[in-house]
Amino acid sequence: MSRSSIRRLVGRFEKELAPFSTALAAEFRSSAEVACDLLEPEEVALWAEDGLELARRSWRSWEAASEYFRATPQVLPLIGFVTMRQWVQRGHDLVEQSSSLAAAYFRASPDTLPHLSLSQIDDWVILGQHLYKGTWRSASLAVQFFDMSPALLSQLSLDEVRALVRFVDVLAERSYDLAAHCLSATPTSLAPLPPQDREAFIRFAEILAYTGWADARSYLEKGPGLLSQIQASQRPRFLNLTREVARQEGRQAFTFFTEGARALGQLEGDDHPYLLSLAEDLASRSPVAAMEFLKSLPQVLVRISVDDLHHLHAFGLALLEASIEGGKAFFRLQSSKSDEVLESLSSRVELSRVAEILRMYCKALTGSNVAIHSADALAEKNIGWVASERPSTEGTAIYLPPAVDEYQDKAQSFGVYKVYSTHQAGHLEFGSFDFLFERPGHIFPDERHQLEEKRGGPKKALTDIERFFDLFDDRRLASDLFAVVEDARVDRLVAQEYCGIRSIYRRIQDRELEKRPQPEDLPLRQAFLENLILASLEGFQRMRWPVTMLGLMRNALGLLRGVQQPQATVEDSAEATVRLYSLAQKVPNIVSDLEREWQRLEEEGAELPQDMDSLSQALTQLMQSGQEQSYESPQPVEFRGEFKPELVQLLMRLRQEKETRQTQASPPALSPEQLQQLMDKSVEITLNEMAEGDLAESSALFLANLLKETTPQRPEKRLPYHDGQPPLGMPREGEEGELTCEPNYSYYDEWDFRASDYKPRWCRVAEYSLSEGEAQFFEQTLTKHSSLVSQTRRQFELLRPEMFRKIKRLLDGEEFDLDSVVDFLVERHSGHQPPGKVYWRRNKVERDVAVAFLLDMSASTDEEIMKHERRYGQDDFDDDPRRYFSWWMSRRAQDMLTPPKRIIDLEKESTVLLIKALETIGDSYGIYGFSGYGRENVEFYVIKDLEEPFGQRIKQRIDKIAPVRSTRMGPAIRHATAKLDAHDAKVRILFLVSDGRPQDHGYGRDRTEKEYAIHDTHVALLEAKRKGIVPFCLTVDRYGHDYLKQMCDDIGYAVVADIEALPSRITTLYRRLTE
Amino acid sequence: MEVQSERTEYRQYAIEEYVLSEEPFYLPLKDEVELFTAAFHQNIPVLLKGPTGCGKTRFIEYMAYRLDRPLTIVKDVTGQSEGSANHGLPLVTVACHEDLTASDLVGRYLLEGESTRWIDGPLTRAVKAGAICYLDEIVEARKDTTVLIHPLTDHRRILPVEKLGQIVEARDGFLLVISYNPGYQSALKDLKHSTRQRFMAIEFGYPSRELEARIIQHEADVPDSLATDLAKLGEKVRHLKEHGLAEGVSTRLLIYAGRLVQKGIPPRRACQVAVVWALTDDHEVQRSIEEVVSSIFE
Repeated sequence: MSRSSIRRLVGRFEKELAPFSTALAAEFRSSAEVACDLLEPEEVALWAEDGLELARRSWRSWEAASEYFRATPQVLPLIGFVTMRQWVQRGHDLVEQSSSLAAAYFRASPDTLPHLSLSQIDDWVILGQHLYKGTWRSASLAVQFFDMSPALLSQLSLDEVRALVRFVDVLAERSYDLAAHCLSATPTSLAPLPPQDREAFIRFAEILAYTGWADARSYLEKGPGLLSQIQASQRPRFLNLTREVARQEGRQAFTFFTEGARALGQLEGDDHPYLLSLAEDLASRSPVAAMEFLKSLPQVLVRISVDDLHHLHAFGLALLEASIEGGKAFFRLQSSKSDEVLESLSSRVELSRVAEILRMYCKALTGSNVAIHSADALAEKNIGWVASERPSTEGTAIYLPPAVDEYQDKAQSFGVYKVYSTHQAGHLEFGSFDFLFERPGHIFPDERHQLEEKRGGPKKALTDIERFFDLFDDRRLASDLFAVVEDARVDRLVAQEYCGIRSIYRRIQDRELEKRPQPEDLPLRQAFLENLILASLEGFQRMRWPVTMLGLMRNALGLLRGVQQPQATVEDSAEATVRLYSLAQKVPNIVSDLEREWQRLEEEGAELPQDMDSLSQALTQLMQSGQEQSYESPQPVEFRGEFKPELVQLLMRLRQEKETRQTQASPPALSPEQLQQLMDKSVEITLNEMAEGDLAESSALFLANLLKETTPQRPEKRLPYHDGQPPLGMPREGEEGELTCEPNYSYYDEWDFRASDYKPRWCRVAEYSLSEGEAQFFEQTLTKHSSLVSQTRRQFELLRPEMFRKIKRLLDGEEFDLDSVVDFLVERHSGHQPPGKVYWRRNKVERDVAVAFLLDMSASTDEEIMKHERRYGQDDFDDDPRRYFSWWMSRRAQDMLTPPKRIIDLEKESTVLLIKALETIGDSYGIYGFSGYGRENVEFYVIKDLEEPFGQRIKQRIDKIAPVRSTRMGPAIRHATAKLDAHDAKVRILFLVSDGRPQDHGYGRDRTEKEYAIHDTHVALLEAKRKGIVPFCLTVDRYGHDYLKQMCDDIGYAVVADIEALPSRITTLYRRLTE
Repeated sequence: MEVQSERTEYRQYAIEEYVLSEEPFYLPLKDEVELFTAAFHQNIPVLLKGPTGCGKTRFIEYMAYRLDRPLTIVKDVTGQSEGSANHGLPLVTVACHEDLTASDLVGRYLLEGESTRWIDGPLTRAVKAGAICYLDEIVEARKDTTVLIHPLTDHRRILPVEKLGQIVEARDGFLLVISYNPGYQSALKDLKHSTRQRFMAIEFGYPSRELEARIIQHEADVPDSLATDLAKLGEKVRHLKEHGLAEGVSTRLLIYAGRLVQKGIPPRRACQVAVVWALTDDHEVQRSIEEVVSSIFE
């Protein structure tokens, strides 16, 4: 066909296309030029015919046709004419469904087709069609898909795109907006991921859509970031594992993903393959357990090493086989078994676990009350110590690092603690802080006073040690020297007093030696100190010193040896410091570039001081050879920690003054100005956040802290508040009266019946003393129930046993019973063989009963008693609102006159009656209330403690019994049990009064679950029983029988159906129980 | 008084005839020996106060031995009367318990055949023999029992025996000594003032480290250094009194530990069984003391 005929052909088609849209025609014309070059004329006709066909299909299908024409020049070279016909065919199919779909298809084709093989084109189209559901929203989603195809396919294979489409499709069922958003976000979120991770990422998304579609957006946004924390090669593996878990579990897919990824992110990347393989092992048994395992890994690996992990894993796996729930709880670290296993595997020793042992150990060593605290606590006080892990003491407490994990096994780690605390206790035991300026030493003759004279007599000083340090111009040097000498003295005394600790001391010293710097690398004066430290650590072979000044060093070492004698005192250390200081002053602090001869120093007897001439000669030689450097304190010796005698003496003095001031009203001897002065010159004080600008401010704060530190310890007020309001019954801020002390916290396990194991230290019980109200209530109740009072009192009086009851007819006893003797003789004479039971004895009978009453103070006790009945009476009104209204009005009027009684009021009244009765009988008793919210806040109110005598305050406290929050019975019972257990009595009773089933936030899988709480309470009651305590439950819930049967099992319980009868029932029950 | 037959290997004495044959080892802490001697000669009853195992009983034995005087044996119902004049005063020790009755101390009728026979209680025997009567842990006894000793403790020095309708005058040399540990008794078990104020009181504490070391060294027959270490342990553990421990470790326990070491038990183990486990059941306290032990002993 000729050119002109083609032009005609094109012209004809153009004319035919023009009615649809001029733009279409224009598009055709421009494409036709390319098409004509590439195609045979017949093919051109077919091509054009296809376009026309498209345009004819529907009202707006010309747009698709236009896109078709536009795409042709690019598509044609890619796929050739034959395939292009197929391509167009797909377009025809699409245009049937939606012209915009087809348009998008054609539009996307030029950029998409390069990523696809010829056979995949159909698949691609099918994906687009899959998204189209016949609605316009689905159409726009499908369009979006085609539009994004180039970008997607450049990153993903077709299979992966298929997975993505499924993901989007599932989302679209929920929300088209979300689906559209996710689709558009996919390329950007995939971009940071390496290609090999993308498939797994998308596949997880697919599962996510099924199990937790709402998280899809967050997954795409945060997923890649989280994933990047995992070691590169392990990401698909992690995703597959997580996907498997999510698939089986069918929920929480995203939570699993984020938690798992975060946990792994905190761990060594090299361990990830191993950790994941362990998790995969578990996944086959229980997917959730596998995820719990991953999640708790960071916590676990703080305590044990990766090498020991398989023990934990194997143990958990075995557990998992026995019980899925038990295994889950194990890996969640919410079972006491997991705690035990961890503890047995761990070489780490935590201070909190050994603090009590160390406290008693130090108490034994020093004979004074020494507290043990974590080192962070000291820095927080901001009284001159800064945050550090190093041990220290401030005179009354020893501060130790929160955990030690440097050795392979626990015993050795504990040994570190032991050395730390022994050294600090040594400072206290061997009187490091008892320095007196006036007291002479035992070894060295006094030079202090001479020196002081030389410097112009005594200056004003707050403490003796300050006065001592005032003798030196370079306080830092003096203080460092004193610390070295005194530490050496204490260490030597420790070694001498406590032979047993030598070996571990030695080990820690050796380790310390390895960390010490080489003396020859230091400026000379610092090397001088370093050598002293090395000598005190018995690291003699590491000591180095210039040969020309050997005498000086030997002299210094001799001084050190002086204080290491058994009879040396802290004053000797001071004297040695004076002498060492003058020696150190002679040594210039220079780094010499001369080739100095450093020589090893051996442990030899002290030599005579070097003669002055040769020394000064050596010195001048040195001085010329190097630059004078500013002096820096030596690297601290780790196990000796921080030694701050000046501060400690100051604190001790402040404390002492506080005490004397309390007894005698004398004015304070210490002024803030004096303290300020001390602070300015002391080198021991380092303050937190001491910025240049607000020096004055921070020093003022320091002084305030110091003074606070020395006041008698009154713990800060910390009360559980809910909704910003203190709970009822607790004093409000600003309310007059005593400050409420910080509650005593105790921790108790909780029984998880699913795992058949305890959750260790799960609940925190805070014990408060109930605040005091008016005593009126007590008296009023007594008057109101006067008949009941006298009645119960009479009954209880009958219970009181005779102290000495005469027991007759005994084989042996105090005395003959004359009647029996007569009988005996008569029978003997008449030839019988009577038994010789002719004695009597007085037996001591004691009633020894202790009882703890545990009152439910949950919010439900606020309920009015009448309401119960009203609920049943309501039917009478049927649907007549007027009758109900008039009844309600009269009811309200009545309520105004006499406020309705609540359950708690009856509990209070019962308490009053009980107290009256118990006082009669003389049993020791405690009355407690409990409530709280959540496992961290179980509140335990003391109304009367077991040992507390009854009095006005108790009466006042009863007034304050009020409904508070939830009912977590288990921990309250455990706490009361612990109290009873500590009390010595023959019969111990735990009497629980409640108004319903146990219930609390997190007390069970959800708020409605009852099983968990009931099981825990049951176990708590059994624990009490095991300890020889008789538990008894009393409830005013008339439907109590059903759960009490399960909760109390073989434990005594009673239901008081008639609530008003509670006061009389409770006393009767108690009487029966103890009769 | 020795009763020896061919078969029996044990020795049996009438209670008031038991006299120490060897001088007990005792190191005076302060002036307690002089005080006691003076009290003895002035017939002033003595109250010994002090924690358990600090040497109260040993002291009284020592004093009984030291307060030398010719011994005369009272012919009593058992008919055994002869005895060689031994060293020292006879010592009658009664451990008091909460069911100790007056007749347990004074005496009672026993049924014998068709008749009854009176038998003297330990107190009566001591009164008759002029022995030192040592009532250990007197507060444990019932209050009605303690009142019984009142007439013996003042100028009267008599013991009324109600059931016989007799009064026994205390013989020369009779001295009532009671012991009392103020530490662990509850408020219920305190000594009545009317009883307390009839005695002079000698208070015993734990010996100082040096003294205790000498005691341990002698009693356990161990080397000086070990005795010193044990005494050191004692001193340290006693710091824990009222802080986990109800009572400090007694010298007696330290001696036991020493004796175990003497028989070849390693010191740490010996201290564990004789000191740590003997003192407390609380694991944490045990652990703390064990740490002290392992610091002191290698």
